[in-house]
Amino acid sequence: MKSLATSLGRLRLKSPVTVASGTFDPDYFELFDQDVLGAYTTKTITLAPKAGNPHPRLYETEAGLLNSIGLQNPGLKAWLNEDLPSLLDLLRIPLIVSFSGSSEDEFLRILEGLEVQDGIAGYEVNVSCPNVAREGIAFGADPDVVFSLASRLSAITQRELIFKFSPNVTNIACIAQAAESGGASSLALINTLYGSAIDWKTGRFRISSPVCGYSGIGIKPVALALCHKVAQMVTIPILALGGIHNWRDALEFFWAGASAIALGTAFYSDPLAAVKLRDSLEKHLRENDLSLSDIIGKAR
Amino acid sequence: MFFEIKAGSPSQARRLFKPVSVFEAHDGEIAFLIKVVGPGTQALADLKRGDPLLLTGPLGNSFLELQGKKVLLVSGGIGYPPLAWLKQVLEPENKVIHIHGGACVTDVFPCDRAYTLDGSFGIQGLVTRDVREIIKAENIDTVCSCGPIPMLKALQSCVSGLLHYASLEAYMACGLGACHGCAVPVGEGWQRVCKEGPVFEASAIRWEEL
Repeated sequence: MKSLATSLGRLRLKSPVTVASGTFDPDYFELFDQDVLGAYTTKTITLAPKAGNPHPRLYETEAGLLNSIGLQNPGLKAWLNEDLPSLLDLLRIPLIVSFSGSSEDEFLRILEGLEVQDGIAGYEVNVSCPNVAREGIAFGADPDVVFSLASRLSAITQRELIFKFSPNVTNIACIAQAAESGGASSLALINTLYGSAIDWKTGRFRISSPVCGYSGIGIKPVALALCHKVAQMVTIPILALGGIHNWRDALEFFWAGASAIALGTAFYSDPLAAVKLRDSLEKHLRENDLSLSDIIGKAR
Repeated sequence: MFFEIKAGSPSQARRLFKPVSVFEAHDGEIAFLIKVVGPGTQALADLKRGDPLLLTGPLGNSFLELQGKKVLLVSGGIGYPPLAWLKQVLEPENKVIHIHGGACVTDVFPCDRAYTLDGSFGIQGLVTRDVREIIKAENIDTVCSCGPIPMLKALQSCVSGLLHYASLEAYMACGLGACHGCAVPVGEGWQRVCKEGPVFEASAIRWEEL
């Protein structure tokens, strides 16, 4: 039987299916077995606690979801003390910790705090959140800043170092190359697009932040194009996300050059989306006598 | 207590589940009362006997079990079903009055006193209009509510000092506590309507931030 195993830089994943940071938590494992996933990615952690953005934070559009959560999280210290131990007890799959900072030094301080912990397989450096003022996208839009950050972070870790990018930039391929040159060992793309919705009757924004993050089915063609574009420009592997709902969507991203994929918004229209995707993908590959390596980056 | 539900029709395959409170539950059967407000609820309304309905649940907490209390139930709009059910549950051991308000007659369902904004049924005005008088006249000691945020906010300002449990409506995505999309300001932080709620002690909610 063909294996679904794949590599993401230094990580060997038993399944190419993972979860998008901030969309998933261990409660889902009451609905399906964690081995369906190749890795578990946490919600993004920041140095200080963040309360997140005001209510309302969500709105479903004709084709996908708007959100403005604002990186709500308990902060590094509380996360290390309260959340990490229970995650380590629970997980049999690799743990990827997503984090973000408001300065290069803050990114470094968080990484130093995480490096002394056992049981972490890799990091997702979130330089792409559209819903916070100073962190996130402010860092991911400038190739020089990304190169410098990747250089400093890669100097102090041997663990998988994934840089997660936003589509809301002028030239994502240029930024991706900067991350690779700096020492990132893989790339996650894409984070949410900018999006907005207004009540046509009252003129009020549907979400507390007028411009927020747009995910789900509507962004799939954008994510696929950027995955292909970046795959032409870098040699490190790509973890693709953006509107993936089923195994056919996943196959498109593998053809475009992704080594692994992540589901996010899909969980909200089908909590079992990951199981169905993994099983159907395996069946398709078996029936066509294909392995993932026959497909990855072979779109023509 | 609520379920995340949606129609199993192909048009809904990539659309979100919607949180809907339980209207009635007994003898292995469960009932939902749904108002059509968009494509998701329209697809639910279009279901025929035998069509697939997808649901996850039960989710969230419930109103406390009360005994020997004089309880005022206040609902507005789509806040009606959970309080209609709560009345059935509480009535054997408590004195219960249920008042309900809606925009017009089509928003009104069986209750002890109905209010409509346009006066097309019952008393014209907001459901909170006579709450102070009812509390005094009926010697109410506990209030349970469900409805839109502005209604709950107005209600809390009428009933401060009494025990008030409010079941909050919120836009949700996961319904399981993962996405933090439904978080509301409670106590010193934010709590998830789907996980720590939907029922909160109203005095703990920072209403001014909603």
